[in-house]
Amino acid sequence: MKCKVCDREIVEDDFCSMHLKAFKNLVERYDCWRKALRISWKEYLSEIRHNPLTGECTKEVASYLIENEEKRNGEEI
Amino acid sequence: MLRCGSRILSKYTLIITEKPNAAIRIAAALDAEGKVKKKVDSGVPYYLAKRGESVVVVPALGHLYTVAGKKRGQSDYPVFDFQWVPRYLVERGASRLGTWLKVISRLSENANRLIDACDYDIEGSVIGYSILKYACSGKEKNAQRMKFSTLTKEELEKSYTELLSSLNFSLIEAGLARHEVDWLYGINLSRALTRAAEKYSEKYATLSTGRVQGPTLKFLATREKSIKCFVPTPYWTIKAKVIVDDAVFEAWYEKNQVETKVEAQAIVDSCRSKTAEIKNVITRTIQQHPPLPFDLGSLQGEAYRLFRYTPMYTLNIAQRLYLNALISYPRTSSQKLPPEIGYTEILKKLGRIAKYESQAYELLARSALKPTEGKKSDPAHPAIYPTGNLPQKRLSSSERKLWDLIVKRFMAIFVEPALMQTTKIIIDINGNKFHLRGKCTLKEGWLRFYSPYMKPESDLVPLLKKGEKISVNRIIMEDKFTTPPSRYNPSSLLKRMEKEEIGTKATRARIIQTLNTREYIRKEKIEVTDLGFEVIDVLRKYCPAVVSLELTRKLEERMKRIQQGKEKRRQVLHDTIEILKPVIERLKEEEQVIGARLSQALMKTRLEDRVVSICPVCKKGKLVILKSRKTGKRFIGCTNYFEGNCKTSFPLPQKGVAKLSGTVCRDCSWNTVKIWIRGKRPWNLCFNPECSSKDKRRKKVEMQSL
Repeated sequence: MKCKVCDREIVEDDFCSMHLKAFKNLVERYDCWRKALRISWKEYLSEIRHNPLTGECTKEVASYLIENEEKRNGEEI
Repeated sequence: MLRCGSRILSKYTLIITEKPNAAIRIAAALDAEGKVKKKVDSGVPYYLAKRGESVVVVPALGHLYTVAGKKRGQSDYPVFDFQWVPRYLVERGASRLGTWLKVISRLSENANRLIDACDYDIEGSVIGYSILKYACSGKEKNAQRMKFSTLTKEELEKSYTELLSSLNFSLIEAGLARHEVDWLYGINLSRALTRAAEKYSEKYATLSTGRVQGPTLKFLATREKSIKCFVPTPYWTIKAKVIVDDAVFEAWYEKNQVETKVEAQAIVDSCRSKTAEIKNVITRTIQQHPPLPFDLGSLQGEAYRLFRYTPMYTLNIAQRLYLNALISYPRTSSQKLPPEIGYTEILKKLGRIAKYESQAYELLARSALKPTEGKKSDPAHPAIYPTGNLPQKRLSSSERKLWDLIVKRFMAIFVEPALMQTTKIIIDINGNKFHLRGKCTLKEGWLRFYSPYMKPESDLVPLLKKGEKISVNRIIMEDKFTTPPSRYNPSSLLKRMEKEEIGTKATRARIIQTLNTREYIRKEKIEVTDLGFEVIDVLRKYCPAVVSLELTRKLEERMKRIQQGKEKRRQVLHDTIEILKPVIERLKEEEQVIGARLSQALMKTRLEDRVVSICPVCKKGKLVILKSRKTGKRFIGCTNYFEGNCKTSFPLPQKGVAKLSGTVCRDCSWNTVKIWIRGKRPWNLCFNPECSSKDKRRKKVEMQSL
C-alpha cells in the first residue's frame, strides 16, 4: 500500500512516515494558529500552503487535505 | 647495494616517513651540513644524509597497505576473513605503490637500524608499522620511533637524538582495530546495499554505508525531516521608535514574541500618543576572553566561518602548511600549548615578518607569556601553532589566508581579555515595558591582535537617566513566523560529529565528502536526497543497531581502551563479527524489497539533480536535462512527455557538462543552465528561445560583422 500523498510505503493512517509526521505537526500547530488569528481549519491549511517557511512535505499534506475537502464538498453538492 | 658517489654504503640507518615532503625535511635537518643527496630508484626518491653515520630517508605515499578479504575477486557477502595486503594489489590505479614497496624493501635489507618517522598519530603509526612488518621482513619489533610535532630543523634534530626505543604498539593495535572494524562494517553493509540494488535494476551503482557514515546520515536525515515537516506558527514583535536629542533609537517590547494578534494590537493601541519614561538603566561590564588555541575542529570551523572553506579543504591546506614546516601537526584535538614549544623563539621569528613585527614585539616586551588554554589535550601533539618559519616558496591565496589566521590566533591567546560594556535601558510606555540595548568595547585586548577575524562591537545607546521622559515617534507591530531548524553545513556537521564523538579528526571531513559522492546529500546547506532517506530507512528498518550512535560510541570507547592497553584487538573484532552476522542475514533475506526501494530512490535522486524548472508550457511537468537514446543528443525536455501530455523541449550544447546554474536570466527570469566546456570559461545559458537577450546578442553579432 502506498502513501496517499507520495509513492512511499504506508506507516500509519495511509501516510508514509514523512507525510505522517507532517500531518501530525499540522494538527498540533492548528491550536496556535487558532488562538493567534482566530481562523478556521480550512483557512489555516490555505495559509500553510502558501507560507514560504512551510516544509515541503507539510505543503503536500496541506494541498492533499484541501483538494480532498473540495472533492468531498463537490460530491455533496 | 646502496651507492653514495663512489662509495658503497654497506650499513646505514633507514628512516621511513609518511610523505616525500617530510622525507626531504628530515634528511636536510639531520645532515651535518644541511646538504641532502637525492637518489632515485625506479622513480622512487630517497635522500642520503651524513651526520657521523650514514642516514637514508625514504618516504611512503601514505598508507601502502590496506585490509582486504582473503578470497581475491570475491564480490558477494558476508566477508569476515581478511588480511593486510599491499594496496597496489587491490586498488585500481595504485600500481606505482608496488614499485614504492620494492624500493623500501630493498633499502631495508642493508640497514642496520630502522626508524619510523611517520606522523605520530594513529594513522601514521599504522603506516609505519605495516611497512616495517611486511616490506621490511618483520623488523617492526626492533625499530625505533621519532616523535615530532613540527618539521622544523630544531625539532627534527631533537627527536632524532631522543628516539623512542620502540614503536607504540598500543597505538598501533588501536589503529589496526579501527581499520579492520571499519572494513568489516563497510564492506559487508555496502555490498549488501549495492548488490540488492544491482540485482533489482541490473545496473551497478555503489551504495555505501559504514560504522560512522550510517549514524552521520541518520542525524542529517532527522534534521531534514524536521525541516520538510515544519509548520511555522505566527507571532508578533513590537518596537517603539523613541527620540533622544533628535536621534531615533529602537526599543523592543519586553516579550520577544507576542502570541496573538489581538494582544499585540492592544499593546500598540495603548502606547499610541503616549510619552515614554525611563524606568531603569542597567550597565554591565563583561570580559570577553581570548579564543582558545586551534585544534583541528576549531580551525576547520573558523576557516568555514571566515572563508567558506570546507573542512576537507582546510585540512588539505593545513597539511601542506605542516609539510612546509610553517605550522605544527594539524590533526590534533589538543587545545593546549606547552611552554616547551618555545613561545619566545616563535614570536621572535614572527617578528621578522613586517606584518607581524609590531604585535610580536609588543608580546615579547611582556614580562611573562601565558597562553589561554582549553580543557582538551592530545597525548601525541599540542594545539596547532605557527613555527615562525618564513615560507620558502610562494604560498597560494588560501594557504596565505589560513597561515595568517593561525598566526593571529597564536598571538591573540597571549593577550588579556577584551572589556565590553552592555547597557539595557528599560522604558515604560503607558505601563508597557520596552528595552533599548546597546554595547561598546571599552578595551580591545586580544581583539586587536586577532583583527580582522573578530572586530570590536559597537552599538551605542543615548545617555539617559532614571525618571527622564522621552518622546515616542512610532509604535510598530510586525508579524512574523517561527523558522524551521537550520540546515547543517560541512562545518556544523563536523562539530556535531565531534560532539557525538564519532569518527576521528582525520576521518570526519572525508566521511562528509563520501556522503556527497554517494549522492546521499547535496549542496553546501546540506539537503538529504531521496536516496539518502531510503538508505537510512532501510538500515533503520532492517538493522537499526548499525545506525545507532550508541553502538558507534561504544566501539570508539573500546578502541580508546585498546590504545590504553586495557582491551584486546582480537576481542573487539570477534564481537564486531558477532554483531554483524545477524544483521547481514536479515539484509540478505530482504534483498529484493531493499533492492526495489534503493533502485527507485536512486533513479529519483538522479532525476532530481537534472531538474531545471517547472515546465512553462504545461505547468505540471518538470524540465529536465535528458539524453536521447536514439540520437545520443542532450536536450531539455518535460517529464510530462512520458504521460503523453507535453512535448516541450529545448536544445542544449552537446559539448561539456550542463547543470542547473542556480541563477535566473536577467531578461526573462527563466532558470539558466551552466555549461562547462574544457578550455573555455563556464557560462550561463538561457534556453528560452523567446528571450530578448537572444535578440540583443544577434544584433551585437551583426554590428561586429559590419
